[in-house]
Amino acid sequence: MATPGQSFYELYRRSSIGMALTDTLDDLISERRIEPQLAMKILANFDRSITEVLAEKVKARLTFKGHLDTYRFCDEVWTFLIKDVTFKMDNSTQTVQADKVKIVSCNSKRPGDPQ
Amino acid sequence: MSNTQVGNVYSQIIADVVESSRVDFEEGGVEEQVLEELRQGWQQKLSQLQVANFPWDPKPEPQPIVNPPTVPSNAGNYQPMSAPVQGFAPPSAQNNVQHIKTEPGLESPTTQGSFQTPVLTNPNATTAQQRAAQHLQQNYGQRAAASINAIQGNQMTQMQQHSQAQTMSTQRPQMTPEQYRQAMAATMQQRLQNQSNNVGSAQTDGAGDDTMEAFGVVKRGDEPMGRVAIDGMIREKIAAMGRSMEGGGLMLPLKQATNPQSRRQKAARQNGAGNAQHDGVDSDEDDKDGVKDEDLDEDAINSDLDDPEDGLNDEEDDDEGMGHIMLCMYDKVQRVKNKWCCVMKDGVLTVNGKEYVFHKATGEYEW
Repeated sequence: MATPGQSFYELYRRSSIGMALTDTLDDLISERRIEPQLAMKILANFDRSITEVLAEKVKARLTFKGHLDTYRFCDEVWTFLIKDVTFKMDNSTQTVQADKVKIVSCNSKRPGDPQ
Repeated sequence: MSNTQVGNVYSQIIADVVESSRVDFEEGGVEEQVLEELRQGWQQKLSQLQVANFPWDPKPEPQPIVNPPTVPSNAGNYQPMSAPVQGFAPPSAQNNVQHIKTEPGLESPTTQGSFQTPVLTNPNATTAQQRAAQHLQQNYGQRAAASINAIQGNQMTQMQQHSQAQTMSTQRPQMTPEQYRQAMAATMQQRLQNQSNNVGSAQTDGAGDDTMEAFGVVKRGDEPMGRVAIDGMIREKIAAMGRSMEGGGLMLPLKQATNPQSRRQKAARQNGAGNAQHDGVDSDEDDKDGVKDEDLDEDAINSDLDDPEDGLNDEEDDDEGMGHIMLCMYDKVQRVKNKWCCVMKDGVLTVNGKEYVFHKATGEYEW
């Protein structure tokens, strides 16, 4: 699936796991344990890995409702700011509420990507 | 979608990244040990975020890491002791405590208490507040005396130093005796003017007005002195320059007469009258208001881009601190009038400090 030249979205670097990785790499770089180039490669590995794992291993579904406050579509990226959101998990009656949530969303069909 | 799945998914990602990075480490000539450190550091940092339970951390472990910052151990030990005692302990204990509390003197009994109580009262705090209080007094009564003296002595010397500093600072305007004399004379004049104008006659707010004006006079009288920036004075100078450039008050501000700093305005008015400004007294009011309003907004360039009414840009700042954010890909984004319907997939959702992963999500919201 992961052909060598293929690139993946760097979107997930902003998630908690991505930020934890970035922090750790920063520490290692500032301690001169690794080179920044190596850190970039690791981040690229992370981009690929999280994309694949999310696509293959996760089956959960959810629905959410709310009031759209702001929307933006730029460079094939949708950004929504939704207020008074309610998330509903499919496999449970549990709901999660939040005053506002920001959604950053990239195109699942990459241009030129056979999918 | 669930929070419990997150731990497994993330550990898979970590293992995957570590495995695939092994080659890169070898190519870069970096020891494998560093890779292991990377994995541990990564897992540790992730655990500290507490977004989910992870398979690698034993359940109770994250708690001691995260708790101390939120509740400092000193305060934690000190509060349960003092609160119950003050609340419903017998009078004798209260006397003791008050005795202890008043003893350390003026300002720092709490800090002192919080430093010493944890060691002494840990075993007793829960069993009997009364004994704890007595124990406390007995044990560090003598020690407290020494430290009390030290503290009071410190405060005395500090106060002395402070007062010295104050006297110094009041004398600071004197650069040379001549200038000081000029300044004093000017101040006296100002005071006389003030009193005749009934501006400073009340004197309930201290000598603030006078010193401000004195500085201003010093500055005016001897321009290149360039003392530490007294903003009001500089603004007045700018205002005066603006007035001279502006001419007849053509550039009126949008909202006049809403100047919050009437004191400065008074001072400016006085000075303006005293110094016989360039364009006379009559148009001073309007011009001053205009110039001052502009000066207050000096940093702004009055561009639309300064408008804070952009929700998305507001959000950017929050993201740093683990805001509520969903990172995903979209399959479909549709809109009919103000109704939006989106189908997302492969996402990570961080909300209320917890993280969720999902394969598919549908959202409906209206704008």
